[in-house]
Amino acid sequence: MAASNSKSTGWKAVLRSHEFILFAVLVAEWVLFYALGTHRNARGMTVGFGSLDAQYNILRHSVEIGLLALVMTPVILTGGIDLSVGSVLGFSAIVFGKLWQDAHWPIAAAALAALVTGAAAGGLNAFLITWLRLPPLIVTLGTYSLFRGFAEALTRGADIFTGFPASFTFIGQERILGVPAQLPIFALVAVAVWLLVHRTTFGRSFRAIGFAPEGTRYAGIPVERRVALAYILSGLVSALAGLIYTARLNQATADAGTGYELAAITAVVLGGTSIFGGIGTVHGTLLGVAAVAVLSEGLFYADQPRELGGMLTGVLLIVALGASVVPKVLSKWRSSRQTAPSTPQPPAST
Amino acid sequence: MKQHFREWSVAGALGAMLVALAIFAPRFYEAQPLLSRLTDDAPTLIIACGMASIIICRQIDISVGSMFAVCGVCSALLLEHHWPIAAVIPISIALGAVLGAFNGWLVAGLGLPSIVVTLATMVTWKEALRWMRQGVLVNVGSAQWFGLSQIHGQLTIIATSLVILVISALAMRHLAMGRFVYAVGADAEAARLAGLRPRLVTFLMFVRLGALTGLAAILNAVQAATLQPNPDSGLELKVIAAVVVGGVAISGGRGNLWGVFCGLLLLACITPALVYLGIPPYWGKAIQGAIILLAVVADGVRNRKTRT
Amino acid sequence: MPDPAPLLALRRIAKSFAGVRALRGVDFDLHAGEVHALLGENGAGKSTLIKVVTGAHQPDSGTITVAGRVVEGLSPALAHDLGIACIYQQPALFPDLTVAENIGLRLEPTKPVRRVDWKKRRLRAAELLQRIGANISPESEVRTLSMPEQQLVEIACALGAGARIVIMDEPTASLTQKEQHLLFAVVRDLRKSGVGVIYISHRLEEIFELADRVTVLRDGESVGTNAVDDINETELIRMMVGREVSQIYPPSESAPGDVVLDVRGVGCKASGVHDVFLQVKAGEVLGLAGLVGAGRTELGRILFGLTPLDAGEILLNHQPIAVRSPAEAVAHGIAYVPEDRRRHGVILEMPIAHNMTMAIHPRIFPGTWLRFGAERQLALEYIRDLAIKAYGPEAPGGSLSGGNQQKVSLARWLATKPKLLILDEPTQGVDVGAKSEIHKIIRRLAKAGLAVIMISSDLPEVLGMSDRIGVMRGGTLAAILPGHADAHTVMAAALGQKGGPA
Repeated sequence: MAASNSKSTGWKAVLRSHEFILFAVLVAEWVLFYALGTHRNARGMTVGFGSLDAQYNILRHSVEIGLLALVMTPVILTGGIDLSVGSVLGFSAIVFGKLWQDAHWPIAAAALAALVTGAAAGGLNAFLITWLRLPPLIVTLGTYSLFRGFAEALTRGADIFTGFPASFTFIGQERILGVPAQLPIFALVAVAVWLLVHRTTFGRSFRAIGFAPEGTRYAGIPVERRVALAYILSGLVSALAGLIYTARLNQATADAGTGYELAAITAVVLGGTSIFGGIGTVHGTLLGVAAVAVLSEGLFYADQPRELGGMLTGVLLIVALGASVVPKVLSKWRSSRQTAPSTPQPPAST
Repeated sequence: MKQHFREWSVAGALGAMLVALAIFAPRFYEAQPLLSRLTDDAPTLIIACGMASIIICRQIDISVGSMFAVCGVCSALLLEHHWPIAAVIPISIALGAVLGAFNGWLVAGLGLPSIVVTLATMVTWKEALRWMRQGVLVNVGSAQWFGLSQIHGQLTIIATSLVILVISALAMRHLAMGRFVYAVGADAEAARLAGLRPRLVTFLMFVRLGALTGLAAILNAVQAATLQPNPDSGLELKVIAAVVVGGVAISGGRGNLWGVFCGLLLLACITPALVYLGIPPYWGKAIQGAIILLAVVADGVRNRKTRT
Repeated sequence: MPDPAPLLALRRIAKSFAGVRALRGVDFDLHAGEVHALLGENGAGKSTLIKVVTGAHQPDSGTITVAGRVVEGLSPALAHDLGIACIYQQPALFPDLTVAENIGLRLEPTKPVRRVDWKKRRLRAAELLQRIGANISPESEVRTLSMPEQQLVEIACALGAGARIVIMDEPTASLTQKEQHLLFAVVRDLRKSGVGVIYISHRLEEIFELADRVTVLRDGESVGTNAVDDINETELIRMMVGREVSQIYPPSESAPGDVVLDVRGVGCKASGVHDVFLQVKAGEVLGLAGLVGAGRTELGRILFGLTPLDAGEILLNHQPIAVRSPAEAVAHGIAYVPEDRRRHGVILEMPIAHNMTMAIHPRIFPGTWLRFGAERQLALEYIRDLAIKAYGPEAPGGSLSGGNQQKVSLARWLATKPKLLILDEPTQGVDVGAKSEIHKIIRRLAKAGLAVIMISSDLPEVLGMSDRIGVMRGGTLAAILPGHADAHTVMAAALGQKGGPA
């Protein structure tokens, strides 16, 4: 993962970057499935993987996990993790469905309430992590259970909200200007998160916190507020993903988004973001999402079981992890051959 | 008993709930449903014994659910082909140990973060199982309840899990190796200076968790005539929650198995208890989440106090 | 001590780190049944010498003889087997485990399959603790113990391991009077039982009370070894300070202007600082001297909002200000270059350009949008201005040498255009060339009208650089001396020597 966050200009560095390798893998996947999964029907039309419809379907199916992965990236950049995103997705979908169907709120008001719910859920995570300084893994494990529990309680474990108006299901099922309607929303969020991480001082702070939280505090950056922002954003966009999920399936159920948190984390880590924080890019995450989506959908068009794609994703992740330690092992091997320490030891506190 | 404050408060909460149930819902204690519930939770308890030492060692393993499913399906398949149960049990344990060793090698050998490693292996095993089985049920057939009567089978399973708990608890307390786990989790560098081998200890704990998961899987597989390969049960998070509620610190070095036992029972009893207490059972998960948060918030507040 | 065969003999020990010579041929003897004090300024080489004895560092040259046998390739494990034990200021114990278990883990074999005999563990721990007169329950968890109690546990470990050579590195730095007496009794007991003790301390009165002999180190060389009965405090201070200083420091040219910082009775319970009254003027370098633990860094942290004050007030340009976080301090124009630059001063993984702009995000990036051009420009300016040796603004902080890292840390704070600059050990671990460059930069800044507080343990540096010298002792400002004060006066004030200005 050499130089994935510094602006290296040399083409060699670009070729060796994690993102480029992942991009090559993605292209290879795409070519492979184009060859295996595409054919022409009697009227000479392209059907299967290579058709535009198939590509749009891949997009439709990966938008929700893609959104979660996008906002998981800043969280992991700060050295944290958010296991609650899938539960927040389900919880806000239920809030939306219940307000619209049972409380007869207008659809826009219900959607807004769902987004506020998501942001508040992220706020709870942020509060526990920054004010009480609890480990993010355990806090979000607790809220993972809590928010899913709220969703189940609101539906009494059984209710399904459905029959949403076409004006709403539009965003999950119809097209705008020829592309799936959720695509512009996704693109908008992707661009916004990319700008946030790569072009603003917030992104700079996330990285700094991931590398050295204490050192960042010493530079006068309000660490708690930055970390809180990452988690609140994560909750807010998870709620947005919940709305899109509901629109796509035209139903809100309490189990919406189960297991999505781990899928999102997989995509982020595959995209080259270090679980220790500091290193990673949003475009890497997008490539990670795409690599996973193309793999699983492509196998489907190639008449292979989808599960094979899931398994290969896992294998890919293990390989990516293994590759990440190669430079470390090499440098350890190199430094073990030098006798003197490379940095002078400060004559500490005699 | 200030140092076991957490264990005692969890035990107290569990006791209070059991007393409340005895007064308001004595039907909770009817033998047959109680036995069934305990049998259900016995495999989870066995895995929690392994998970506790992993977390005390300052690691985590979220692939236990997948390992559990893989071992369960493999042993059920062998049973379907009429292998003797006496041969299948060690095979299941060995398979679990091998899977655990793979995690351990990646974590202790290559120095990769355990949460990502086990996330990767979790996805891999889970999807591999789905791919190969396509959700087809496995017929355990005559091996159900080890070929014993249901009640004897249930008692065997519960007894096995309790024996594992007692042995593990004693080993963690009275075997030098158990204490090494605490030392490594508390401060791996200090442990190294004291002449211990932190990486080896970590590796062995992953192997042990795998082996226990294999055992738990076979105990689960024989509970019904057919085994549904269901790797998405959220078992890993259930086990981690029980361990954390039971007072094991996620930052390593602290906690014991008696607390984990109480934590597991507390979380496991909530859903049935709600039914008997007339509270809608769909609140169960939210209450579980609240208990996890309550436990860590209590720790956080206590740490804040001792820090200043 | 006329014992012919010393327990430990070091001959011509030399050790360098990346060209900086920490030890230049030191000789040192320790006899059985003696307390041998090791004295010297910060950075004189005491720590390095100790680490050579414990096997943590391999000397570049010289011989180590333990009980008459030359030891080759001394490692921590071998040192342990030879009966060498060291009690550091920061004990390396397992905080979550009990005292008995900590002692047990150190002393028991590392065989994994064996029964832990808790009763034996407890009894042994109780016996060892009783032998050193420590009133600590073997059952209590180490995290609940105070720092001195943890040191006592370390001593118990050393005792249990049958150590013949015990090294104590400033054991009384955090002890109360009563605990000190207890510790002294322990040391005397050790001496009586034939153990050799190397005792490091800054407190002269302790050395006279406890030690048999004293060796003074200066600039990595042994200045001399004397029996304590043959020497007095004044002579010891002179041996420590030694060389003449003046030429190598750039002369002060600025005339102090208006008062910039006015500290009125500031204190903070958590960090042990109390009743500090201090004024710093524009264009003035105020050196802050004192021993480690005297509260200098702690005062710096209070002024920068890292540990907010709970008593007194801070005035900047005659206006009372609240400094509850570093972000607020930065907004008020206070800059703090921290002591531990690798952990706090520079983010090693980030490019130096990013490091330099970290404290001025709102100003250089208006509307939070990054401006790479402006950032690069600023970085190039500081790289040229401070003569930072790096291959470019995108070089990661960790790729630079210590002195250049320090300059990056300095650049970050200069970029904030501060009114008050606090430097904490600005030249610690920095090679000679970079050191004098940093001194010139400090002078230039003061001339430009900045108020500078320079915390330093390097006495010649304090003397050479300061317009005025504040001396801290026991968490408060003990004396303010003129810039031309001599080393002896400063040292005497820092040590609290009778007759010195207090």
